[in-house]
Amino acid sequence: MSENRSEPVTGIPAVDASGLPDHVTETEIRESAARERREKLRSFLTNWQGLTGLILVTAFFASAIFASWLAPYDPNALDVPARLSGPTLDHLAGTDQLGRDTLSRILYGGRVALKIAAIGVSVALTIGLTLGMIAGFGPRWLDSLLLLIFDTVRSFPTIVLALATVALTGPSLTVVLAIVIITSIPQYARVARTATLTLRNTDFILAERSLGASMTRTLLHHVMPNVVGPLLILAAMDVPVVVTVEAGLSFLGLGVTPPTASWGTILNEGYLVIRDAPWMVIAGGIPLILTTLGFTFLGEALRDIFDPRMGKGR
Amino acid sequence: MPKDALHSPETLLDVRNLSVDFRTPRGRVKALRDISFPIRKNRIVGIVGESGSGKSTVLWALLGLLAKNADVMGGEVRFGDRDLLQASEAQLRATRGEEISVVFQDPMTSQIPVLTYGRQMLDILYRRPNVSAAEKRRLAVEMLGKVGIPDPDKRIDQYPHHFSGGMRQRAGIAMALLTGPQLLLADEPTTALDVTMEAQIIHLLQDLQKELDATVVVVSHNLGLIAELCDDVVVMYAGEVIEAGEVREIFHNAQHPYTRALLECDPARIDDVSRKLPVIPGDIPDLTKPRSGCIYAPRCQRALPVCHETLPPDVARGETSLARCHLLDGLHHDPSWPPPLDVMTVGQEGSAGTKPARAKHDAALLEVSELNVQFETIGPLRARLKGLSQRHVDAVLDVGLSVAPGETVGLVGESGSGKTTLGRCVLNLVPSQAGSVRFEGKEIRNMPEARFKPLRRDMAMMFQDPVGSLSPRKSVRALITEPFQIHDITGVDLDAEAERLAEMVRLPKHFLSRYPHELSGGQARRVGVARALALNPKLIIADEPTAGLDVSVQGEILNLMADLQAEHGLGYLIITHNLPVVRHIADRLAIMYLGRIVEEGRTDEVFARPVHPYTRALVEGVPQPDPDRRRVHVSISGEVPSLLNRPKGCDFAGRCPFAQDRCRAEKPPHVTMADGRRHACHFPLG
Repeated sequence: MSENRSEPVTGIPAVDASGLPDHVTETEIRESAARERREKLRSFLTNWQGLTGLILVTAFFASAIFASWLAPYDPNALDVPARLSGPTLDHLAGTDQLGRDTLSRILYGGRVALKIAAIGVSVALTIGLTLGMIAGFGPRWLDSLLLLIFDTVRSFPTIVLALATVALTGPSLTVVLAIVIITSIPQYARVARTATLTLRNTDFILAERSLGASMTRTLLHHVMPNVVGPLLILAAMDVPVVVTVEAGLSFLGLGVTPPTASWGTILNEGYLVIRDAPWMVIAGGIPLILTTLGFTFLGEALRDIFDPRMGKGR
Repeated sequence: MPKDALHSPETLLDVRNLSVDFRTPRGRVKALRDISFPIRKNRIVGIVGESGSGKSTVLWALLGLLAKNADVMGGEVRFGDRDLLQASEAQLRATRGEEISVVFQDPMTSQIPVLTYGRQMLDILYRRPNVSAAEKRRLAVEMLGKVGIPDPDKRIDQYPHHFSGGMRQRAGIAMALLTGPQLLLADEPTTALDVTMEAQIIHLLQDLQKELDATVVVVSHNLGLIAELCDDVVVMYAGEVIEAGEVREIFHNAQHPYTRALLECDPARIDDVSRKLPVIPGDIPDLTKPRSGCIYAPRCQRALPVCHETLPPDVARGETSLARCHLLDGLHHDPSWPPPLDVMTVGQEGSAGTKPARAKHDAALLEVSELNVQFETIGPLRARLKGLSQRHVDAVLDVGLSVAPGETVGLVGESGSGKTTLGRCVLNLVPSQAGSVRFEGKEIRNMPEARFKPLRRDMAMMFQDPVGSLSPRKSVRALITEPFQIHDITGVDLDAEAERLAEMVRLPKHFLSRYPHELSGGQARRVGVARALALNPKLIIADEPTAGLDVSVQGEILNLMADLQAEHGLGYLIITHNLPVVRHIADRLAIMYLGRIVEEGRTDEVFARPVHPYTRALVEGVPQPDPDRRRVHVSISGEVPSLLNRPKGCDFAGRCPFAQDRCRAEKPPHVTMADGRRHACHFPLG
């Protein structure tokens, strides 16, 4: 019979404070917790990946939110004489075939990307977390059923699913959102399910049951706080996927409908004139690349710092 | 310095002035400070200490296998003519496994699950290119035979999961000894094993040491093990060697107040059954800022002003003993210290706990009868396909048990005996197949959770792992007030309740805002007790209440439980494998073996006159913290059989020294004797 104290479970910063004596006061504990937080922040900021990610992500948010102030022109204002102009002082990123300012369209396109990312990821995370915890905690048949559904959804190629849906409903931002949410639920749910399964038979969950805690209470108060950490990291890594899915669908004409600016439509329109005006594709691609990189870096840095199982030994 | 006298030529390994720091977010933890001790050739040396004493750090420092955040701050480890601390990684690799090898605590995790023993043992001999593979295999088989593994030539081709826990530890020892090392290090070699296995491993190590003329270092917190096994003992506390000497010197004539206190706290040493256990008050000091005086002074009953200021001298006695204490030499020498062994130097915490006159209710609080719990081993469909008829194992078989208000019943058994399952089944956490469980006369077995929930206010459970049974993201305050929220008890001031409960379990108030990982085992255990007591239950089921606690702390928890029982008239069902501990707190004992209760009776009677051979083996199997009471023979051999092939007759027949044909053929029924004791044995011991 092992007398070992078991390690704390999943994602909890493993700080061994068992040697802390009685006389350590609350303020000292607070200080040590604050020191630990500072330590984490410092390791985050000294990590070039984390810092780059943070800057890029901040820039993405700022440019999308303040697009109406930052954009030099109305994104839909036509200026046909200046059509397909290259980068000039008037049009820093050139214009498209209708003479619309590409920079303004990119900034406004960022709003679409942000909307998709924020709504898509948060809804998918919430539903995925809930279903995953239910699968991991509920009876076995329910687990099998939910897994079957997740795997079925995952087995559909996103594009084919989108094509089928659009054929039924016609292209719109809502359809893109729905597709993004449906296709990313399974990955959140699977991570949440695995984490819940490992927690399910721990002593502290059994202890809650022995006190009479209901399943809802156990899940909300005791399982979720321990499961949500890895999911947030996953969410940060998922944002670029979602943004590119939107861009891809819009590029194919399945997403945002013209004249609304989106990175995907800019790429699509630029693609048509790529021989005459290549800068449009370049200008439309750069924010996509930067946003993708930013969120990926951020996600990896967060994982390195908060997930003790993966981050060590750097 | 008299220290040099200790370093005679027969010294195999010599630790001199070793200091190790750990870099942690809280600052540098000075885990070892100026440690010196010799390890003499052909001796078994025990390093004993509680958690945080640095005993494992010493072990890993010897091997150069310290964690990455460790810094060796100075000192030497002389092994032959080399200093292992200066050796290069390549030299260390050549030393490890060949000259110094290790037996690990948990054979489950220290052996490679995907390789057969044969393969693993051949790999150990990889530095012998001129030995043929066949010869290596012969050596490995021979070594497995030597450590007592039956059919070694067949079993060598099996994988670790084919071996039982005790066999795995034997194989671990065989692997460590295969290269013929000069020094064998054993890190808590029996902690993961049951009492009956522990005795076997102790004897195995002793026999092998004699046979192979090896030198063995055993690191353990278990005083009984050290007394039983070792020749020399090094006592560590908070990163210092506070006493060292031959085993009889340490156990019969301990010089340092800490050693003395530690020995007095060991429940196996206390013969008279009192309901109060001695404890060392306080906690291990903060090693980020070690004090300038004696490290033990804050907890020492005999501390003088000088102890808080200057480091005590290492006072040598004879050739081999030394202790670090002001009382032993110099200005503050006290010739009356140490007092005779029968004088207690440590106090017993808490009020003078007298057992309350048991409420003479005829109605038992908890009454279990003929309870059966089965676990499904294979699904119905697959059983059909494989043509198997039996799809269950009996984890609990026809168990009867009762607990009266104010009574403490100890349920004792080794791992796999079904004791934990029984406890959980009573609380409706595990479904049962037959029998009855009555609580205050009401049948509660397999009651639907909705109807059972109100009863949970009256029955609470304490779980085995003190820290692991607390939800890691909740503060202590939230944890101990949670029962009120679960049962929708309104109209109580939760903050006031939190403080009341903290006070009840003697937990300082500022702990309420801490989180479980910031608590020591003893503190976390108190939180568990507070949670269990929050709603004034009538019955508490405590699963290994002292597991994970140091000897000096476990008394505090048991005394606390006894006080609370006296105050509230609680009934306790204490589930444990630790006989010495229950002996002091239980009124009655029930001994479980392979899911059945084999003996039940009053604690003093069971100890004085065990009726079932298994009980006798358990009672005798406890290693005594007294080198003069070493056992000459191991009373039972073998291991607990698997539930999957339960013997046809008596479950214990295969290991029982008195077994006869009838025992192997016929399951003994439960018999109640004239004095009220019950047993299940065809030939009860007289």
